[in-house]
Amino acid sequence: MKNFIERLFTFSTSDPEDTRKRRLLGILLAGTAGASLFGVLLFIYFAATVDPAEFYLLLWGSALTFMLVAIVYAVNHFGSRQAATVLFLVFLYIIFIFSDTPDQIVGGRTLFAFTIPIFMASILLTPASSFIFAGISGAVIFYLALSLGVTPNLPGIAGFFLIAFVSWLSARSLEQALSELRSINLNLDRVVAERTEALAESLAREKIEAGRNQAILNSIADGVIVFDKKWNATMANPAIKSMLDIPLQLIINKNFRELVEHPRLAPNSRAILGSMIEHGTQPIGFRVEWGDKTLSVSAAQVYDQRREDTGTVIVFRDFTREAEVERLKSTFVGIVSHELRTPLNAILGYAEMFKEAVYGPVNEKQVNMADRIMKNTQRLLALINDLLDQAQMEAGKLTISSQTIKPAELLETMHSLMDKPAADKNLKLTSEIEDDFPETLVGDPARLQQILVNLVGNSIKFTHRGFVHVKLLRQDERWGIEVTDSGQGIPAFEIPHIFETFRQVDGAATREHGGFGLGLSIVKQLVGLMNGEIGVTSQLGEGSVFLIRLPLTIPKESPTAWRSHE
Amino acid sequence: MNKSALIIEDDEDLANIFAEALRGIGFEVENVLDGKAARERLIHGATPFLILLDMHLPHVSGKELLLNVMKKDARFNTSWIMITTADARLAEELRDQVDFAMIKPILFGQLRDLAARLKPKDEI
Repeated sequence: MKNFIERLFTFSTSDPEDTRKRRLLGILLAGTAGASLFGVLLFIYFAATVDPAEFYLLLWGSALTFMLVAIVYAVNHFGSRQAATVLFLVFLYIIFIFSDTPDQIVGGRTLFAFTIPIFMASILLTPASSFIFAGISGAVIFYLALSLGVTPNLPGIAGFFLIAFVSWLSARSLEQALSELRSINLNLDRVVAERTEALAESLAREKIEAGRNQAILNSIADGVIVFDKKWNATMANPAIKSMLDIPLQLIINKNFRELVEHPRLAPNSRAILGSMIEHGTQPIGFRVEWGDKTLSVSAAQVYDQRREDTGTVIVFRDFTREAEVERLKSTFVGIVSHELRTPLNAILGYAEMFKEAVYGPVNEKQVNMADRIMKNTQRLLALINDLLDQAQMEAGKLTISSQTIKPAELLETMHSLMDKPAADKNLKLTSEIEDDFPETLVGDPARLQQILVNLVGNSIKFTHRGFVHVKLLRQDERWGIEVTDSGQGIPAFEIPHIFETFRQVDGAATREHGGFGLGLSIVKQLVGLMNGEIGVTSQLGEGSVFLIRLPLTIPKESPTAWRSHE
Repeated sequence: MNKSALIIEDDEDLANIFAEALRGIGFEVENVLDGKAARERLIHGATPFLILLDMHLPHVSGKELLLNVMKKDARFNTSWIMITTADARLAEELRDQVDFAMIKPILFGQLRDLAARLKPKDEI
């Protein structure tokens, strides 16, 4: 029954406004038919008191009404809505005209019934059509008044036009509001459709991405475990299984702490990983010992699209072979260091003994010769030192200590080592400390000395006349070492490369000045280890300025504490 | 009476140079060329005024001699000079255990001047 009624009032057209109006007309037709039926039933109920002639007239009238309603419904359903509406309104006029006496219609109780077609026309046809039907209503009343020979009810007729005007305004507003609502709905539908499509695409992409990520995870040689915020493993790749030599079931859905407590993990490694869990640190490339394997472990936090922390991913790399090579390299460096320095020390020692006439008097030429042996041996030692420093830095073995140092002593030692080489080339080596420079600061005395000597040595090497000047200065929260020379300068295109390993400005210079070109490279690496920076400005033929800037830390304890070791 | 010095150095040339530097300033010098002999000498021999200890020795390392032998034998009232090569980490680690740490190359004059300034520990 419900479906039947729904179907009765369902009109499918492409224009939603047309559909709405057809549906409205359908409802009005149903109401008319219902009212007519109600009237008949009422008459049947009171049949005893009603004139039989009037009763039959009513029955015929009701039958006619049903028939006309059916015709209008058919036209509305299958044909033109406008035609159906006009038919319906005409039908209403007929009903109103014959439903009462002419004098009641012209000036009495039925006059206002003629406002109904005006109002209905505005909502069923077009808003402006209310004026046409106001005219029709007025014409009918006017005609009937003339037929009766009475004065037409002009205020009533004017009232029709007033109602037409109000209906026009209301219907127009209603249509505009509905039109806007439809437009909003259309936009909304489009937005929903677009969003749905985007969501579907995003889901598809995510699925592809997840598949791809899984494929990548499965194919890489590094072991990967993804943990949630509570350190429970949510994902792991097959490589981790062979790397740790334990089944994946013992990793996935297990807490990282269980892995940390595994007996194969060395105690010191356990402490490192435990600290990672406790303090949420994300170390990169630290080593842990797992059984007979050395693993390099890197951790990184995982964020979702809203930048919220969702857990940690840990990557394990089998570092066993590299660790062994590193150990061998370290041993090799140690051996080379010992094996090269020891005989060179002997040469140096014997030459010095010879020069000092330990075994008897020597002449000036012999002293000069011993001097040359010593000088060249020291040069060779310096080269070996540079190579060993470079090897240590590459192996990450070179560490920087933090001690209280006196900057003035750095300069004193530098002078004691470099005054002679400068004087040998008739160069003036000078130094100064800025007025507001602290008397003591924290640093690695040996490495700072090395930086200073390397820089000054480099300047002396490439300066043929003039001066080399060293200045210690303070710049806000940093301190600096500035070495200025009046040397040959560095071509602009060479400046970006002068700190590279084994680099000297052009091959000819290399032959002229000797050395491996490691001095400045070592300086840069040492400065890097001290969290500092180095820069150079140079003018060809006029000289160069090297400036090192280092973090400034003023010691809290007595500035002379470290001297007790000497 | 001359001050005595024990040189524990496996390189004969260096040991000879160190010895000449010390003899030049009046030391009576004794050379030991390996770690094992040095341990025997330290445990059973007379206490020297100065010990020059190379860290890289055959059989028993200089570190072992420094950390174990020296500590066990409380008789020593000796000045220790540790000699290392480029192993700055080792030098740093053992710095507090000795009076001086020298890194090779050690100059003849440098050692001579340092040793000349040494005074008996009970006078410091």
